[in-house]
Amino acid sequence: MKRSAITAVVLVVLGVFGASLVADAQGPVRIGASLSLTGTYAKPGKYQHEGYQFCQKELNAKGGLLGRKVEFVVYDDQSQPPTGVRLYEKLITEDKVDAVMGPYSSPITEAVANVTEKYKKVMVAPLAATTSIFKKGRKYIVMVISPAEVYLEGLVDMAAKRGLKTVAVVNEDTLFSKAAASGAADLAKKKGLQVVFTEAYPKGNTDFSALLTKIKAANPDVIAAATYFDDAVAMTRQMKELNVNPKMYGVTVGGDLPEFYDLLKGNAEYIYGATQWEAELKYPGNREWFEAYKAEFKREPVYHSAAGYAGCLIYAEGVKKAGSLDADKVREALSKLEMRTMFGDYKVDQDGFQLAHKMVTFQWQKEKKVVVWPDDLAQGKILFPTPAWNTR
Amino acid sequence: MNVVITPAMIGQVVISGLLSGVLYSMVALGLALIFGVMRIINVAHGPLLMLGAYTTFFLYSAFGLNPYLTVPISMAVLFVVGLVLERTLVFRVIEAPELSSLLLTFGISIALVNAAQLAFTSDLRAVEYLTGSWVIGPFAFSKSRVIAFVFAGALTGGAFLFLKSTRLGKAIRATSQSRDVAMVCGIDVGAIHRLTFGLASALAAAGGALIAMIVAIQPEMGQIWTFKSFLVIVLGGAGNYPGALLGGMLLGLVEQLASLFLTTQLSEVVAYVLLVIVLLVRPTGLLGGRQT
Repeated sequence: MKRSAITAVVLVVLGVFGASLVADAQGPVRIGASLSLTGTYAKPGKYQHEGYQFCQKELNAKGGLLGRKVEFVVYDDQSQPPTGVRLYEKLITEDKVDAVMGPYSSPITEAVANVTEKYKKVMVAPLAATTSIFKKGRKYIVMVISPAEVYLEGLVDMAAKRGLKTVAVVNEDTLFSKAAASGAADLAKKKGLQVVFTEAYPKGNTDFSALLTKIKAANPDVIAAATYFDDAVAMTRQMKELNVNPKMYGVTVGGDLPEFYDLLKGNAEYIYGATQWEAELKYPGNREWFEAYKAEFKREPVYHSAAGYAGCLIYAEGVKKAGSLDADKVREALSKLEMRTMFGDYKVDQDGFQLAHKMVTFQWQKEKKVVVWPDDLAQGKILFPTPAWNTR
Repeated sequence: MNVVITPAMIGQVVISGLLSGVLYSMVALGLALIFGVMRIINVAHGPLLMLGAYTTFFLYSAFGLNPYLTVPISMAVLFVVGLVLERTLVFRVIEAPELSSLLLTFGISIALVNAAQLAFTSDLRAVEYLTGSWVIGPFAFSKSRVIAFVFAGALTGGAFLFLKSTRLGKAIRATSQSRDVAMVCGIDVGAIHRLTFGLASALAAAGGALIAMIVAIQPEMGQIWTFKSFLVIVLGGAGNYPGALLGGMLLGLVEQLASLFLTTQLSEVVAYVLLVIVLLVRPTGLLGGRQT
């Protein structure tokens, strides 16, 4: 039904003074993207959108790009890869945008990368974390965040250090989550933990009863769940319903959003999550950026906002270094670039694969995310082990 | 990597299956009513359920009402919505070819979902009330699901009683058996249609209200319920009301057992394979199609 509801929303109207009609060099630099503004990825997708909007504003305040204003042209892909593909085709061939930025999520980036490669458009993909996307010989795609495989590294590492023995790994059956789950399972084995249960579930699944019944029987010390947002919420609620009590329980995407706590309230306590960025981390200008964002959008940014913003800055830096919008020159500049933003470090290899950025693991403690891993960035100690549901 | 399946685990998923099954039954009964009486497949059934869920969410979050008290209010609100939809749109396609009614309700469904996205945004919402479970021996009974089970059981029972014993209920069944004969007997068929559509929407709303207390809700939550309800009434026999009850319980059990013995991914496949088998072996559904 989503398919037929092609109500793509143009969120940024082209050419404020009709300048776009006169296709001269003085028109704005138009950057196209599709984002998940509705559907299962809507939550993080909207934060990413705000990141883009904020970047547009700040770039323009500093004189734009190559002396031209910057304008984002954004459509809603409804969290569907095929819709994203159609929208990037439209952006490039009909809207004739000057540049593109990546969509939200690995599955959609994987799908639309075929389009941007076909038309030789550089795509900085700030929220695609799956290694394979960048290791298929694509030439124009650039990664910003740490790869999926390390999302659960902190959880597994802490579990091993505390002498836990067994882990259950579950995941949504899509590109990113599969990579995060297999990364977690590999790391667990390397660190001497035994993987006692693995299972994937379909996207959009809301009933985890049978899955959790099996996990309960396997009785693992750790549950590592490679999730997005909706499923992380549903799974947590049903863990409580079925009284499943691991010593540690961690999720990947979604667990870091403030809405995760809003929806689950106290049930979110003790849950571990992974994040690419936190406001408290000591990166240059991070605190100021956090405050400015909050003033602009009346809510606190999450790492999806920060990554979207940083990705846009990185692209802009590449254009400045290249001195033009030419795809090959910009791509060349981006592979040489080393940059430290409020989001952390940026440096990619020849494939555009991210090498420098670091992930952190946090735990929900008294309504707050406390960074607990790695040790050099940690702000607090973990509350361990997670108490059983009926003793809280 | 595999877990040895014990009888206690089977017991647990049977409990889960029955608990969700009765919700399927109740929601599907609404679809079955509309199909039986009006010969319309109401694709907008799931989106109406979504509206019921949001009614409960807003009554709970804005007015702090006990969410269980909002169930009858959601039902009343959606009863009226159903009446209005029937009176303005649906009555136009009752005599029309079946494709027209499919197209119309499909259109209503898209309009409702998109309107909800505009009005409520696509953010997840949850009614965080009575989470957790009662643990009895090796079994956990989710509190919200058990109470939903009781509500849905009572409402479904009430609906059956209404259909079986009241004059109005008999009029509905009579219309479902033969519109023309019912009309000749002096039944206001138009009014019965409106009532049926309202009643079915109210059943969907009750489902939505109860689901809102179990899982987080969002505007697109309804579509899957249209499909599930459709599956249920085809399994049980389209237009056969006790069939909807049986079909719902069966679907709940099959989904859970398939997730246990196979994987969560395959549970939907198994449900649809079951549908194909039933259609091959008993094309009119388990309890037979509409009695005429």
